Amino acid sequence: MEEYKNANMRIINSGPLAPFRKWASKWSLWPCHFITSCCGVELAHAFAAGYDGERLGTLNMGISRQSNYIIIEGTITRKMARALQFVWGQMPDPKFVNVIGACGERGGIFWNSYNITHPSDIVPVDFFIPGCPITPEALLRGVRATQDKIVGIDRKTIEFKRVELPFEKQLEERMVPTSPKLFAPTPLIKVDVKREVDWGKELEDNLKNKLEGLYESITITGKSSIAIKTTQENLKEVAQKLREQMKLDHVKSVNVIEVPHERKFIVEYIISSYTEEELMPVLVTVFVEIGLKDPKIESLTSIWESANYSEREMHEFFGVLFDGNKGMGKKFILAPDTPDLPLRKEFKIPEERYVFEKDMPLDELMVPIEPPKDLYIPISEEFIEEAYDNDEIVVPIGPHHAGSGHLRVTFRIKGDIIVEAIPEPGFVHRSMEKLAENRLYIQNVPLFERLAINDPVNMNLGYVRTLENALGIEVPERAQYLRTIMAELSRIEAFYYDSGIFSLFFGHTTGFMYSMAIREMVIEVLMGMTGSRSGPSFLVPGGIRRDISDDVLKLTDNLTFAIHKRMKKFEDIFVYNPVTIARAKGVGVLTKADAIRCGIVGPFLRASGVNYDIRKIAPYEAYDKLDWEVTTGDDGDCLGRFLGRLAEIKESVRIIKQAVDAVRSIKGPILSADILGEYKEAASDIKGNFFRVFGNLVLPKGEWTTITEAGRGTLLFSIISDGESNVPYRVRVISPCWMNLRGFMEALKGARYADFWAVYGSFGYFPPEADR
Amino acid sequence: MIDINAVISMMMNNQVDIPLLQPLLKPMLEMPLVGYLIALVLWKPFFVLILMPGFATLGIMLLILPWIERKMVGRMQWRVGPREISPHTRGIIQLLADSLRFLFQEVIIHKDAHRSYFLQFPFLYFIPVLLPLLFINAGTAGNPLVPIVSDYGLQLMVALICLMPVFILGVGWASNNRFAFIGTVREAFLYFAYEIPFIIVVLAMIVLYGTSNTVGVVNAQSGVWWGIIQNPLAALTFFIAMVMATARLPFEIPEADQEVSFGPFVEYSGIAFGLAYVMGYEKMYVLSALMTMLFLGGGSGPVIPGLGELSYAIWFVLKTLIVLVVMANLRGVYPRYRLDQALKIGWGAMLILALVAVAWSLVMGVIL
Repeated sequence: MEEYKNANMRIINSGPLAPFRKWASKWSLWPCHFITSCCGVELAHAFAAGYDGERLGTLNMGISRQSNYIIIEGTITRKMARALQFVWGQMPDPKFVNVIGACGERGGIFWNSYNITHPSDIVPVDFFIPGCPITPEALLRGVRATQDKIVGIDRKTIEFKRVELPFEKQLEERMVPTSPKLFAPTPLIKVDVKREVDWGKELEDNLKNKLEGLYESITITGKSSIAIKTTQENLKEVAQKLREQMKLDHVKSVNVIEVPHERKFIVEYIISSYTEEELMPVLVTVFVEIGLKDPKIESLTSIWESANYSEREMHEFFGVLFDGNKGMGKKFILAPDTPDLPLRKEFKIPEERYVFEKDMPLDELMVPIEPPKDLYIPISEEFIEEAYDNDEIVVPIGPHHAGSGHLRVTFRIKGDIIVEAIPEPGFVHRSMEKLAENRLYIQNVPLFERLAINDPVNMNLGYVRTLENALGIEVPERAQYLRTIMAELSRIEAFYYDSGIFSLFFGHTTGFMYSMAIREMVIEVLMGMTGSRSGPSFLVPGGIRRDISDDVLKLTDNLTFAIHKRMKKFEDIFVYNPVTIARAKGVGVLTKADAIRCGIVGPFLRASGVNYDIRKIAPYEAYDKLDWEVTTGDDGDCLGRFLGRLAEIKESVRIIKQAVDAVRSIKGPILSADILGEYKEAASDIKGNFFRVFGNLVLPKGEWTTITEAGRGTLLFSIISDGESNVPYRVRVISPCWMNLRGFMEALKGARYADFWAVYGSFGYFPPEADR
Repeated sequence: MIDINAVISMMMNNQVDIPLLQPLLKPMLEMPLVGYLIALVLWKPFFVLILMPGFATLGIMLLILPWIERKMVGRMQWRVGPREISPHTRGIIQLLADSLRFLFQEVIIHKDAHRSYFLQFPFLYFIPVLLPLLFINAGTAGNPLVPIVSDYGLQLMVALICLMPVFILGVGWASNNRFAFIGTVREAFLYFAYEIPFIIVVLAMIVLYGTSNTVGVVNAQSGVWWGIIQNPLAALTFFIAMVMATARLPFEIPEADQEVSFGPFVEYSGIAFGLAYVMGYEKMYVLSALMTMLFLGGGSGPVIPGLGELSYAIWFVLKTLIVLVVMANLRGVYPRYRLDQALKIGWGAMLILALVAVAWSLVMGVIL
């Protein structure tokens, strides 16, 4: 590695033309478009209006052959490592590599994940730029550092030194929470813990009637949630009945919980309805228990197509065989060299520790990971031959492609028409579900925020609400309103990121720049509130971290006007551009029935004509106190999806306006007294008491499932707690993009090759969110 | 044996007249060798073909035009574009750095490519690009600045321009890559879609002017009666065909970055890509020059005092530049069409427009 790094500099410095070489290379660093993880959001900002990386002569180029610079954005998973190696090999010499983000160095927040590698083991790195996520300023500073390095200026980067802190003793005395671990070796895991709530008697009776003789028990497990225990043999029949008689038409989550000490798996399907209005907020859990040896269960894909990809995922993580699902036995999310069945309890990852013991071997933390030896593309020879026999062409797209993001889709194209599209997610699979089992409940707040750093507050809110739900905490009113404001800002952020990508996919760079510029303003306000650009982790169970001053609220109010003004310009140049309309109208149509069958979520579902918004059907925070409307459409095409989201953003602006007005007159604490306990002084600012308050959170026994309307749709967190440990026993995250992937592929059928990008952009598919 | 004096006198009889430089040039022309050289440089055909608006101008344009494009599109997008390389001149030498970098970078020829064709085509492409300039008339009515006077000047230009896509097809074929393949096929489809309206429109102008001699074409646009005023429909169709032919947005379909990663040029690196990259700009320049000659009155414009016939050439280049800038600006305004939509435009609207333009020309030709 070191040799190669020097070799690049040697090429630059050789020959009589060296000064020209240096000068030209310095001012013409063209980064190739190789977006590897979520820091790509900040990369987009660094090269968009506002920061404009093109000032430095760096022009983002789509293809490796023509570029001489890679900016690796954070996490390199095992799957992405292959692509990285390949792309780097394709680039002509001399070439340079910068790594941005903490996880690109030694893993950062994902340091003990089973699926990540270290970029420095794969390619020679010139500069590391820390931050999680990094700021665009830092990124551009990294570019300048590379430029200086090329011309031979040694820019002093950070040197690490061991310093003695004067208050080190004091630190040791401070109360440090116990390290995260499962306390009980053989905890009792139950997903149907009965809870007394004033709800659901009718539904319970109804279910008992309909499923006579097919169930083992039906338990009400909380408000709007009910669990049905059945047997392996009856599962399919139960599902059939629920589908047909109860109109429970989609699966929200497929989950497997391993209980090794009882030698069993619990396989559960969380289902709900899009058609029956009173069943919309209800989560029905159907679960069976199966033995640990040769776990096999009948797949429910034939009844609920929306379970398809989740079943495949669970098969890969736990080895449970879903009989009847076509994807069994194939790799889907994981790379061939990822450890098998990683989510089983017997597979251990390095433990989290707070205080380093004196003699702890550091090697354990710094295990070098072998770079991949082969280029793994999961397409068989027969597949290609079959395609050629049918006069078709096979085109794999991504993950290194100017219009793919971190997703590989393999197309079979006949003429210009897509015959088959095979998705291959998992390029940004950072194994959050496993990592969460090894961290304190409160430590998982920043972890889950990294699902989508362009929609951070909603991700945060989804997790925090699950904890609050379990602990039975009521959030103070002021905090509710402030959370609503932040969540809506986050929704606007997510939309503008997606619309930027949408316009870029159409080759419309101006639309991209405008969206990013608007996003920049939203980020500015979020920064004023929380202090962080895209990773605030500002919401905590029971409220928010700090109170927000009136100045910032004024700024937020101003923002609504500014967004309105700029939005108009964006609409003029991109949205109502005749070419955009020609490209997006009538393309990638998902009918209402298809959308429900594939379990589409969020604004994309509403664009197909289903009036389903969690903010309305099961209101949380302050949404029921404000005046706003759900936007639905009937077209279900790309333009409909996009315009639907645009209309939704206008509603968001309305919500923010009202909420800002309301919150000014509401004074009070921003943290619930229930969670603060004895630390009452932290009611308006948690600073200084954070770990004392939150360090030893323990959730009551049972399963806690909460759904939240995130920027791109339903975000589901399902936490299983054993009631004793300070870590969750199992966390299941279903992000909106993951649910949308099935519908995304469905919408591609019969479309033209170039329509892929229209569909992709209209779904706002953000791979880090989907891959978790 | 060529009589050198006869050649010199032939050149001397056909010189670009620049009054401002006359006092300086007169003594130099007397000198033995320098004199020949000056006579050659100022010989009208040589001057037009090599200096202005010929190869030298083209070369400078290739360095400046992408910069103009990047800067202007940057302005439209609320940012500044390349700047830090030379802050005082707003980064005008950015393309110099880029092209030098391409020159010094490794050229990779992957093992599945057809090695010789892969390298030849970007160079051979200069042939159809530069040859149409042989017939270009940068002068004005009654004062032609043209390298070769031919009665079939326009037809020859169109024929050579229509040769250009063949080289792009060759580039794509030699690359042997999926995206190159798709991009090449897209180029071929588009080729037919724009080529026919393009030829018909040129035909319309030949009908209107009553000649296909480039001298005659410019002569027919005396005063303010430029081609664009005589037949605006033809000018519009020509412009759209030009945008399509050079694969600019909204017709940037063969090279769509997000879809087929530069299509035919996906495998090119180093200086080979540098050449392939400027192909589009070369074509843009030639077509813009043709448009200036056909529709914008060639080099007609007020004579700049002291520059004599050179001022026509300057006007010509300026008009060409304006056309180029308009084309470059489209990048900031439009997304790209899908292939089938572009084909529909080519075979539908444009073809009809072109035919109407012919009818218009016939009517105008009869009336005038």
